[in-house]
Amino acid sequence: MEFKVEAHRIMSISLGKIYNSRVQRGGIKLHKNLLVSLVLRSARQVYLSDYYGGICLSAQQAREWCEGEYMASKQGKLVPGSTESLSESDEQSEVAVDKQEPRDVVESPAGLHVETQASGEQDSAENGVSDSGCSDIKTPEESPEATQTCEVASVVTAISSNCISAPSPSDPKEETETPTDCQTDNSESAEKHSYEPKAPQAYTNRKRTADDSELTDSPTKRTKLTSTSLPSTNDENKGETEEMDTSNVSSLITIFGSSFSGLLSNKEGEQPDSEAEDSDSGQICCDQMLKNLNPWSTAIVAF
Amino acid sequence: FVGVGGGNDFQWCFSQVKGAIDEDVAEADIISTVEFNYSGELLATGDKGGRVVIFQREQESKNRPHSRGEYNVYSTFQSHEPEFDYLKSLEIEEKINKIRWLPQQNAAHSLLSTNDKTIKLWKISQRDKRAEGYNLKDEDGRLRDPFRITSLRVPVLLPMDRMVEASPRRIFANAHTYHINSISVNSDHETYLSADDLRVNLWHLEITDRSFNIVDIKPANMEELTEVITAAECHPHQCNVFVYSSSKGTIRLCDMRAAALCDRQSKFFEEPEDPSSRSFFSEIISSISDVKFSHSGRYMMTRDYLSVKVWDLNMENRPVETYQVHEYLRSKLCSLYENDCIFDKFECCWNGADSAIMTGSYNNFFRMFDRNTRRDVTLEASRENSKPRAILKARKVSTGGKRKKDEISVDSLDFNKKILHTAWHPKENVIAVAATNNLYIFQDKIN
Repeated sequence: MEFKVEAHRIMSISLGKIYNSRVQRGGIKLHKNLLVSLVLRSARQVYLSDYYGGICLSAQQAREWCEGEYMASKQGKLVPGSTESLSESDEQSEVAVDKQEPRDVVESPAGLHVETQASGEQDSAENGVSDSGCSDIKTPEESPEATQTCEVASVVTAISSNCISAPSPSDPKEETETPTDCQTDNSESAEKHSYEPKAPQAYTNRKRTADDSELTDSPTKRTKLTSTSLPSTNDENKGETEEMDTSNVSSLITIFGSSFSGLLSNKEGEQPDSEAEDSDSGQICCDQMLKNLNPWSTAIVAF
Repeated sequence: FVGVGGGNDFQWCFSQVKGAIDEDVAEADIISTVEFNYSGELLATGDKGGRVVIFQREQESKNRPHSRGEYNVYSTFQSHEPEFDYLKSLEIEEKINKIRWLPQQNAAHSLLSTNDKTIKLWKISQRDKRAEGYNLKDEDGRLRDPFRITSLRVPVLLPMDRMVEASPRRIFANAHTYHINSISVNSDHETYLSADDLRVNLWHLEITDRSFNIVDIKPANMEELTEVITAAECHPHQCNVFVYSSSKGTIRLCDMRAAALCDRQSKFFEEPEDPSSRSFFSEIISSISDVKFSHSGRYMMTRDYLSVKVWDLNMENRPVETYQVHEYLRSKLCSLYENDCIFDKFECCWNGADSAIMTGSYNNFFRMFDRNTRRDVTLEASRENSKPRAILKARKVSTGGKRKKDEISVDSLDFNKKILHTAWHPKENVIAVAATNNLYIFQDKIN
C-alpha cells in the first residue's frame, strides 16, 4: 500500500517537473524530461499494479468491461457512455477511472486547456491508446476537481501548449519535425487562441456522442492491447475505496502510458489519415484530441 | 599519487581560492566548466554568465620555493551572450557548457568555448612590447606631414605593460537543434566534435559554415525516444575513434573510418543492471554524466550519479573498476529527485599518470580514488580550510547510526554546495575544484 502512496507522490512530482520545465530559461531540456518521463512510467507501473491489486471484479464491472471492449474495438478509443454510470461507484473500473481524468482536464475552467490540447493533439504524430487499455476520451463523468487534478490538468496544458505551431503539415514526418519549432514556444501563439472557441464546442459535441455511445468516425485504432489488457487487470480487481484525487491522478497516468514511447501505446498505422484531417480543421483536430488525449506524447513530439 | 595520507606523506594543501566570498551568490558567477590547457600553464573557467576567465601560472620563484607557481588572472572576456531564437521563441542561455583548449601552435593560445547552441574559437594573445619610432606617424598616432620627414629611422620595440586580448576567430553556429553537452578536440588538431542530445557533429577548425553529422540517434518518431547522448569525446591518440555516452548508462565507441554516419557502433559498453537495486530512479542514476579517456588512451572513465567506472576499451561487458562516490545517497534518491539534485551532472577527471581519478560530490566534498592502492579520500573545498598551505583533512560521511566525531551525517549535507567540475593538471599534482562561484586550487605537499 505504501508503494502506491509513494508511487502516487512521485507521479505528482514528476508531472510538476514537466510543467515547470517549460518555463525554465534556455528551453525545455530533452534529457531531463526524458528521465522524468521514465520515472513517471515506473511510478505508474507500480501504482497501477498496486491499484488493481485492490479492486474487485464485480458483475457490473464485468459487463462494463465487455461493453467497453466492444466499443473500444469499434470506436478505437471511445469509451461507451454506459460506463460512466459506474464512475461514481467506489469500485471503479480502469476504464472509468481513466475517463475521469481526461474529462477533468478538458473541463478545466480555462478554455486554454482544451484548446492547447487540441492544438497539441494536432501536432501529435501518434495518437495511441495507452497500453493500459484505457481510452483517453473525456467522458461526462463527474469527478471533483482535486487539487492534483488541477495541477495535472495544468501540466497537460503546459505540455500541450508547447506544441502550438504553424499549421501542422499533413506529412507525418514533417509533423515530427514541426514540433521542434514549437518546442520552446512557451508563449501562447495566435493559433492557440484560435482554437479556443472551437474546442469547447467540439468537446461538448463529443460529450454527447460519448453519452449516446455513438460510433465515431474515428479510424479504428489498434485495440487489441486495450481489450486484452482489460480482462487481465479485471481479474485482479478487488473492492477498494478510491479517493478521488488518487484515481484522477492514476487515470491521468494511465493516459500518459508506460513510457516515453509507450506514452502512446503503439504505433498506430492508421494515423496518417487522421493527421491529414487534423491539418484541415480545428474541429476535427479537437475530435482527435478528445479521442486520443495524450498530452505527454505531444510534449515529446515537441522536441 | 592520490594522497590518502598515512605512510606516503602525500597530502593535499590549499593553495588558492578565486571568486567572491559573499554568501549571496549571483547566478551568473556560478562556474560551469574548468579546464587546464595542455601544459597546465593556463587554467580556464567558464560561468553561467557566459564569461571565460583564464588564469596563468606564475613562474616558480626562487624566493618562495615552497609555493609553486600561483595562478593569477590572465584574461577575462565575455564569450557568449544570451540570445533569443525568434523562430522557436526560445531563449538561448549564455552559460558556458564546456571549454576545450587547442594545442598551442604559436605564441597565442586558442580555446573552444560553447554554450547550448554555438561554439566559438577564441584566440588569446598577449602583447608586451610596442614599437616606437615610426616614420609616418607620431607617437600618439597622428600622421606626420610627409614633407616634414627629413630622415628615416628604424622603429624599436620597447617593453610595455602586458596586454592580453581575446578575440573570437571562428563562430560555429546553427548546427545543433538540441542542447550541446560536449566538445572535444581531435588528436589530428584539425577537427573537433560537438555533441548535443541526439547528434554528434564533426567540424574542421577552419570551416565554420558546415559540419558533418556523424551520429544521429533521433528516432523517426520522437515519441519512441528512449535515450539521449550525454557526453562525447575523441580518442586522445586515434583520430578516427570517439566515444559517446547515453542516458541509459551505455557507451558507444565509433570508428569514423567504418562509415560516414557512425550510427552503428564499433564497440558497445554496458554493464548489466543489478536487478536487486532496482527502484523508480534506477534509470536516472544510471545516466552517464561524463566520459573521459585516460591519457594513455587505453581506458575510459564514466561518471553516473553514484559511481565512477573505469572501462578497459578492450572489454565491453563490464567496467574493470567501479568506485562508489556517495553510495549513502542511494536511500535518499526520492528526496534528491524532488529537489532536482538527482539530475546534477558530475564530471570526472584523470591525473596525468592515469593512476588516480577525481570527481565531485555534495557539501563541497570531492573524492579521489587511487587506482593502484584502491584507496580513496574525501576532501572538502571550503573557506574554513583556506589558510595558505593548510593541509586538507580527510572528511567522512557517517552512514551508520552512530556518528563519530568529525564525521558528518548524511542529513547534514548541504546539497546546494555541489562540486560538479574539477580538473587535474596534466603533469603535476595540482587540482582545480569549482565550488559554485569559487575556484579552489590545491597542490600536493610532499614532506
